[in-house]
Amino acid sequence: MSIIKTVDVKKWFGDFQALKGISMEVAEGEVLVICGPSGSGKSTFIRCINRLEQHQEGEIVVDGIELTNDLKNIEAIRSEVGMVFQSFNLFPHLTVMQNITLAPIWVRKKSRSESEEKAMELLERVGIPEQAQKFPGQLSGGQQQRVAIARALAMEPKIMLFDEPTSALDPEMIKEVLDAMKELAESGMTMIVVTHEMGFAKEVADRVMLFDEGLMVEENTPNEFFDNPKNDRTKLFLSQIL
Amino acid sequence: MIRDSKFFIENPYGRWVRDNLFSSSSSAFLTFFAGFMVIYSYRGIVGFILNPERMWTSVTYNMKLYMILAYPDEAMIRVWLSVGLALILGGLSIGFYNSGKTISLGGIFQKLFTISAVIAILIALAPTNTNVIQNDGSIEVVEIIPQDVRMLILVPSLVLTLAFFFLRNVKIKNLFNTAKVNLTYFGLIIASLYFIKIPTISLDSSGERIIPDPFLPIASTTYIPWTILYVGMLLFFFIGSLLKNRDIKIMARLIPISWFLCPLFIFSWIFKKPLVELNTVFSADIPSILVFGVIGFLIIRFSDNESVGVYRTPINIGFLVLSIVVFLLPLVFIFKATMVLLLLLLIVSPAIATTKEGKRQLFIVWVVSLFVLTFLIRGASSDTMLVTPTGSIFGGFSLTWLLAIFGTYASFPLGLALALGRTSTLPVIRIICTGIIEIVRSVPYITWLFFASVMLTVFLPAGVEFNLIIRVLILTAFFSGAYFAEYIRGGLQSIPKGQYEAANAIGMNPFQRIFLVIVPQALRTIIPTLVGSVITSFKDSSLVAIIGLFDILRIGTSVIPAQSQPVVFIGRNLEQLVFLSFFFWVFTFVFSRRSMKFEKRLGLGER
Repeated sequence: MSIIKTVDVKKWFGDFQALKGISMEVAEGEVLVICGPSGSGKSTFIRCINRLEQHQEGEIVVDGIELTNDLKNIEAIRSEVGMVFQSFNLFPHLTVMQNITLAPIWVRKKSRSESEEKAMELLERVGIPEQAQKFPGQLSGGQQQRVAIARALAMEPKIMLFDEPTSALDPEMIKEVLDAMKELAESGMTMIVVTHEMGFAKEVADRVMLFDEGLMVEENTPNEFFDNPKNDRTKLFLSQIL
Repeated sequence: MIRDSKFFIENPYGRWVRDNLFSSSSSAFLTFFAGFMVIYSYRGIVGFILNPERMWTSVTYNMKLYMILAYPDEAMIRVWLSVGLALILGGLSIGFYNSGKTISLGGIFQKLFTISAVIAILIALAPTNTNVIQNDGSIEVVEIIPQDVRMLILVPSLVLTLAFFFLRNVKIKNLFNTAKVNLTYFGLIIASLYFIKIPTISLDSSGERIIPDPFLPIASTTYIPWTILYVGMLLFFFIGSLLKNRDIKIMARLIPISWFLCPLFIFSWIFKKPLVELNTVFSADIPSILVFGVIGFLIIRFSDNESVGVYRTPINIGFLVLSIVVFLLPLVFIFKATMVLLLLLLIVSPAIATTKEGKRQLFIVWVVSLFVLTFLIRGASSDTMLVTPTGSIFGGFSLTWLLAIFGTYASFPLGLALALGRTSTLPVIRIICTGIIEIVRSVPYITWLFFASVMLTVFLPAGVEFNLIIRVLILTAFFSGAYFAEYIRGGLQSIPKGQYEAANAIGMNPFQRIFLVIVPQALRTIIPTLVGSVITSFKDSSLVAIIGLFDILRIGTSVIPAQSQPVVFIGRNLEQLVFLSFFFWVFTFVFSRRSMKFEKRLGLGER
């Protein structure tokens, strides 16, 4: 049973065609890693899944709801899909705790005490319960990204999207974020991760995809992808990155 | 070279002087030049102030006129209550919010050292003589600070400076609460009202001026009220600290709300003494509270009902249309205002009234705000019972205050609405808001004031008439609102796109996104600008003097210099202008200092 299904998704920015027809499916509980050179459309694609970007052709169905211009559908899908950004995008005027509880209280209509309890649980899960009352500006990059993961999880999403979550981090902080993501994958979350962390892809992914110039050029299991790639473009990409 | 001598290298003070004042030949020149200019203008100002031609009693004698113009004597207690309310609230806030900041004894001595050193320098540099222009045009040199007076101040202040200089290094472990120290300073100022005496114009029983003026305490008629208010402030300071220690959380919300409501309450009830008839209260106010209370209860009760939720958008639009209709109908103002409040409730209740606890709290807030709103409007819309010769109870500083506070109160929400409207994606709203902003901003304030005083009555529907102050308030609200709107728009544009995306990604609707994520950040970034524009509108309020309102500036420039009864002050403008500049400076300075602290506190979460 696929939880995300896209059929021939196309997207233009003005004259530039960013996505040239992407068709794929993601099963429930699957971890999918998308990699590819910059400008290949991988970020644009996962941003289309929760309508941060609007696709012009093709169809995207998330958890049985089709993405159309209907605001109700969009909000319904967004509350099912958590997203973690490259630049964290925490709310700087709120404490860590308020960042995490904002959506449960206002969007999910939960009580404050219940949301705070849940937030503490999540902070423990990502390993920073002691930072709850600080402001994002007082945390390191790795800690901020883990707060961002906790904030997305607080909505109890069925799917998590990661848009290059470690690209803006110092090398020694990358591990702590990847560990949190690994733990999440092991708990059975459906995840789509855009990343250049090949170690993470090898270890955690169920499937790896390579995007190039708006097309999906290879889709494979991690072992096959790294050891026995079918496509020449994949070989070139791997030779440059590894 | 001198600057390489031992003193300027090794001594810390010498080092400071060398690095900061004489670091290069050009900076040495600037130091000398600026020093000369400062001393020259200082001596000029002192010479002007102490010139025997000045008649400062024209300021002190008219202090009451400046503050409240012709407010009736028998109702003076209301003025003191108004001031007292603000002071008491101040005491309460200091007690509640002062987060145990402390200062050491050495720190206190350091401050006293600075103060006494400044006094010593100022008195040493003060001129001995000044020029007085005689009637025949010749200039006579007059001694203004006799040598013995100078010594009388200089010697003790030098001794104190030396004493504090050595005392400031005492290592005493005792720390003093900063708030208490500041309150003590304030107490000393109050005490000085008793001890410092100045020549005061006094009339004998037959109304004749006693010559020469007897020496009386500075606030010879008001030191007792000031003392009472100070005691009240102290009392509430201790109540505030007590509440803080008991950790009573609700105060943290109650105090800001009280600060917000305090001027409204003062101007609609305490200062005004409204004439409230019981039958209007029973025929309009109480039914309104009951009816709207029940409607509010129903809205809260069914806010998360599934079957009602389907019709939410038509219900909201229906209420919007209804409230516009109600606003245009010739109904009691209370209904109109409550309708707006109801619309607000309708918008926020689906977001807040989601749990039983949330519903209960929202209902309490609803009922309390209904009462407060009705109460304030009843006071504001009733006639006053006070009779004044000028026909208005507001005049002098009370008018300036009224214009400044209500200008800000009305213009801020208006500005926010205009800014959001201008950035809206709906073309009709955007065009209307842009139009209002551009029209209002492209016409000078003075022109708008004349518009308010002369033309607004022509534009209003027949039978609708406001008094001049209200007309000025409406136009001020639009004028500063348009400026606020542009500042806020600047703030909105400074919010990175990622914030919008993050808010979208967690499923917020546009309303939540704007008011929970974007606007709070936008306002934070523009606090300095907003404070600047509040100060500007405070000062600009003196322009109403031109259209015939008696604000503090008009009193100083045209009322007092024309006085001949019971004392002749004719032509005494210079003193008034010096006093008014000083007066405005004190207020704006204090205000901008406070806002800097506020900014720091809010800036906690800055990136």
